[in-house]
Amino acid sequence: MLRFTLRRILQIIPTVVVVALLIFVIFSVVPGTFASSLFSDGKRAADPQMIARLNEEFGLNKPVTERFVSYVTDLAHFDLGTSFRTRQPVIDLINDRMGASLKLAIAAMVFAILVGVPLGFLAALRPGSILDRGAGAGAVRVPSMPLFWRGLLMMFLFALQLTWRPGFGYGDGSFSTLILPAITLGVTPLALLARTTRAGVLDVLNADFIRTAHSKGMSEIKVVRWHVARNALVLIVTTVGLQFGSLIGQAVVIEKLFAWPGIGSLLVDSVAIRDIPVVQGTILVIVLWFLVINTAVDLVYAAIDPRIKQE
Amino acid sequence: MLKRMTLAAMLSLGVATGALAAGERHGGTLFFTAPYGSSFATLDVQASPNTQEEFITQAIHRALYSWDSHDNKPVLELATSEDVSADGTVHTYHLRKNAVFHNGKPLTADDIIYSYKRIANPKNAFPGASFIAIIKGADDYIAGKAEEISGLKKIDDNTLEITFTGPFNPGFQLMQNTVVIYPSNVSDESSFGKTPVGLGAFVFKEHVPGSQVVVEKFDKYYEEGKPYLDRINIVLMAEDAARDVAFRNKEIDVSVLGPTQYQAYQGEEGLKDHLLEVAEVYTRNIGFNPAYGPFKDKRVRQAINYAINAPLIIERLVKNKAYPASGWLPISSPAYDKDKAPYAYDPEKAKALLKEAGFADGFEFEVTASPNESWGVPIVEAILPMLKKVGITVKPKPVESSALGEAVTTNNFQAFIWSNLSGPDPLNALRCYYSKTAQSACNYTSYSSPDFDKLYEAAQQERDPAKQNDLLRQANNIVQDDAPVWFFNYNKAVMAYQPWIHGLVPNANELAVQPYDDIWIDDTAPASRK
Amino acid sequence: MRLGFNFWLGATLTALVILAGVLAHWIAPFDPVLDADLMNSELPPDATFWFGTDAQGRDVYTRILYGAQISLTVGIVSQVINSLIGITLGMTAGYWGGWWDDLVNGLTNVMLAIPSLIFALAVMAVLGPGLPSLLIALGLTNWSWTCRIARSSTLSLKSQGYVQAAQTLGYGDLRIMFTQILPNMMGPILVMATLGMGSAVLSEAALVFPGLAIFLSVLGFNLLGAGLRDSLDPHMRTRKP
Repeated sequence: MLRFTLRRILQIIPTVVVVALLIFVIFSVVPGTFASSLFSDGKRAADPQMIARLNEEFGLNKPVTERFVSYVTDLAHFDLGTSFRTRQPVIDLINDRMGASLKLAIAAMVFAILVGVPLGFLAALRPGSILDRGAGAGAVRVPSMPLFWRGLLMMFLFALQLTWRPGFGYGDGSFSTLILPAITLGVTPLALLARTTRAGVLDVLNADFIRTAHSKGMSEIKVVRWHVARNALVLIVTTVGLQFGSLIGQAVVIEKLFAWPGIGSLLVDSVAIRDIPVVQGTILVIVLWFLVINTAVDLVYAAIDPRIKQE
Repeated sequence: MLKRMTLAAMLSLGVATGALAAGERHGGTLFFTAPYGSSFATLDVQASPNTQEEFITQAIHRALYSWDSHDNKPVLELATSEDVSADGTVHTYHLRKNAVFHNGKPLTADDIIYSYKRIANPKNAFPGASFIAIIKGADDYIAGKAEEISGLKKIDDNTLEITFTGPFNPGFQLMQNTVVIYPSNVSDESSFGKTPVGLGAFVFKEHVPGSQVVVEKFDKYYEEGKPYLDRINIVLMAEDAARDVAFRNKEIDVSVLGPTQYQAYQGEEGLKDHLLEVAEVYTRNIGFNPAYGPFKDKRVRQAINYAINAPLIIERLVKNKAYPASGWLPISSPAYDKDKAPYAYDPEKAKALLKEAGFADGFEFEVTASPNESWGVPIVEAILPMLKKVGITVKPKPVESSALGEAVTTNNFQAFIWSNLSGPDPLNALRCYYSKTAQSACNYTSYSSPDFDKLYEAAQQERDPAKQNDLLRQANNIVQDDAPVWFFNYNKAVMAYQPWIHGLVPNANELAVQPYDDIWIDDTAPASRK
Repeated sequence: MRLGFNFWLGATLTALVILAGVLAHWIAPFDPVLDADLMNSELPPDATFWFGTDAQGRDVYTRILYGAQISLTVGIVSQVINSLIGITLGMTAGYWGGWWDDLVNGLTNVMLAIPSLIFALAVMAVLGPGLPSLLIALGLTNWSWTCRIARSSTLSLKSQGYVQAAQTLGYGDLRIMFTQILPNMMGPILVMATLGMGSAVLSEAALVFPGLAIFLSVLGFNLLGAGLRDSLDPHMRTRKP
């Protein structure tokens, strides 16, 4: 188990390195610069001297190879660079926003698990019932709605029509601001979890080794609880882990809509104004988190189901 | 809840219920919105060129001049009076004696010199440097050739003498939010970005990144009796839709409206009476690159102006949230010519002009456009069928907003659609058509007209404001006739405000940015505000 | 194959979207771009404009039909690109193994590590807005799962009797891959592609924000995919030898 763990963790490193390379290349050819984006809203006339001064300060006039070398050297020292916009270290900006994003993602996932898993269980225990068919239909239809719409619909319903507050923003970080965005984000993993749990439970209920356990005389309840739970757990853990990754991507849309100060909206804003160090730093951090979570899921999976380690 | 009414006054008026129209009420919390982004770049406002930071600047800082929105001109702010020399270039300012920074230091001439030097410092690359450049000797300092700015001279603690490079009114430049005055006794300059200290009516309290900035009333503000508010929460909220919901829910006190919301709010009972409208100083236009064949000919450019029905687009697409443009200078400009009509909608005339210029079969061109709903791709889509009728094929070339500026300033376009600053100073606005202005600096259409240049240079030297405005008016008319752009509209800014808010001003520079010291909240506000 | 309710509903919706998209040019009463008259803006539905007009005065019905065309294009083209990349890389990696397999695996890991929406955002920033950029961005983003499936299918099919027979007969590698292995893994790949179409269109919505045709198309694809998957489920059909 230890070797497997070590191997898995080490695999992260080359992946991160390649990702860093990839994003550097992409953002060195992107049109528009930070300096030019400052004038794009037309609210002040373009000042070529200022543009030149800024480009010089940011080192954008140096040749690509030189910039690449300094980028890589900085990364090796865990230095993510300085933001063009705020002139603060990128790592500070990310730290400020990371907490909010994590809160959102975790809350969404918790919501999805708390509602989705029991729903899946119930549907599996009563296959073909109204509950089952309704949940199944919903599971396919709901994720079809574009996230942006879903968010607006939630805001409209809950904030305007029912006047539950607050409808937006982070405010003082209290729990009430978290509810609406977390639910909106959590709906897709909820649907998937319900479906997966249902399939997993059904599979197990019909499987051979259940019949074997039955014939060995284990009591009904113990049979259901132990085997079903264990195998369903595997599926749930895998799904949660995988969904977490796509959650981070989807959180971007939610963060923009609900004015949620997370790193998703930081990324989108920084791309728009071409604040390259922040873009590169944010993507790296997001990718790192994603890899860490995936590896953790793999390890848990391996711990639960020893057959996996054989490969 | 503090009411500044003595018992005698109350009894003499015989009214006990508070909400009198005349009395400004003291106290309360304002929930203001900063709608131009989802974060503040920095709290060191001298370092930031973004409009977004101006929301903080207005609360915490002051500059030598400020903008008077009622008279539409700059006025002295940190000085009580000034003496101007005979040739108009030397101004001697008598600074306020009771102005105090939030850290207790009284304002002196040293602070102004320190601040201007910091802004112009070549190591900093601050945006305000181009405004400081109007001071004599600043150019050398900015280029690193001098240690001091020769035009700044301290006479004594409360008297400052500034020599400018010309006889113009320096108020337009020195009122800008990027040239505010910082205290010179702060040893660690990096603290300006974390805990800003200024001369404004409010003191910085806290910054929640990505969410809001909170400021509180400064007891020692130099204007007696102000500010009225105890506290302001400046909330970040960039999405129109989110602001709409929050405003209707009474969670925020003001909201800048886009065209769709403008139309909706105008139709609703509770909302339509609380809309503040102002003609802002921006001209929306499609600029033509004279290097691209057909655009060399004035008749082609004029034809395009005749072929497009601008008022109809404004009515239908922009939902009347703009004023049709006649020339470059907007309605609020002192050099605006109200007697000169805009190009009429006349497709027949357009066709005739095109035929004269040799383009009876039409031609095609690309318009580089950003996604903006008021001056971007949707507008280009609207003119598409209109120009098709006179034989011209238009192809929108969508780019991201940040790429638009780059494309235009590197002269990499056939035509572009943009919203450009055209005020409040008409001399500065028409600089864009002066042939000596670089293409990348503002003369995006590479315009050059000897007649215009003559009038402009005369205006630069003219000291009498009325004569200067007349010269500029004539120059503006030349530009309109030459049609280097398609004149689309001047922006109408609209801000919705809750019924309990008073003291907002029609700021033509940027309606969303308000001087907070005049704002007060009346009794009808909900409990959360008081 | 047992084809349930989901499958038929999905198939119907998808067929409608496809019909609308393909025939848009002939059945649409107006031109979606040029037939814009601001005098007609925002009219309610009537005899001429079945669904009314939009803010520019364009017929909404026409726009929906052409919108279906766009959604279809986005869904199909991006999935074709995805599948091409995924199948090529996955199949060759599984078949040849060795350093090529390691390389492809590493690349797949990298692509899986970057959330797809974020990668698409980055690519679109470089290419600028517009339909071709969107197609390329989406095409480059989601090929990883197809690649994994292709690779594992190839690994298990490689040892099948008929493949080894072909090898002894001296057939070239590429020929074997395309004639023997590829047809046998099309099942799961098709399901991936169908579901992927829905996801591609959703990504389009997040990246671009347009209309109603999207909801219907995505719903259609999702149901179709779900229906296909249920019917292809090993418990419910017999395998081909």
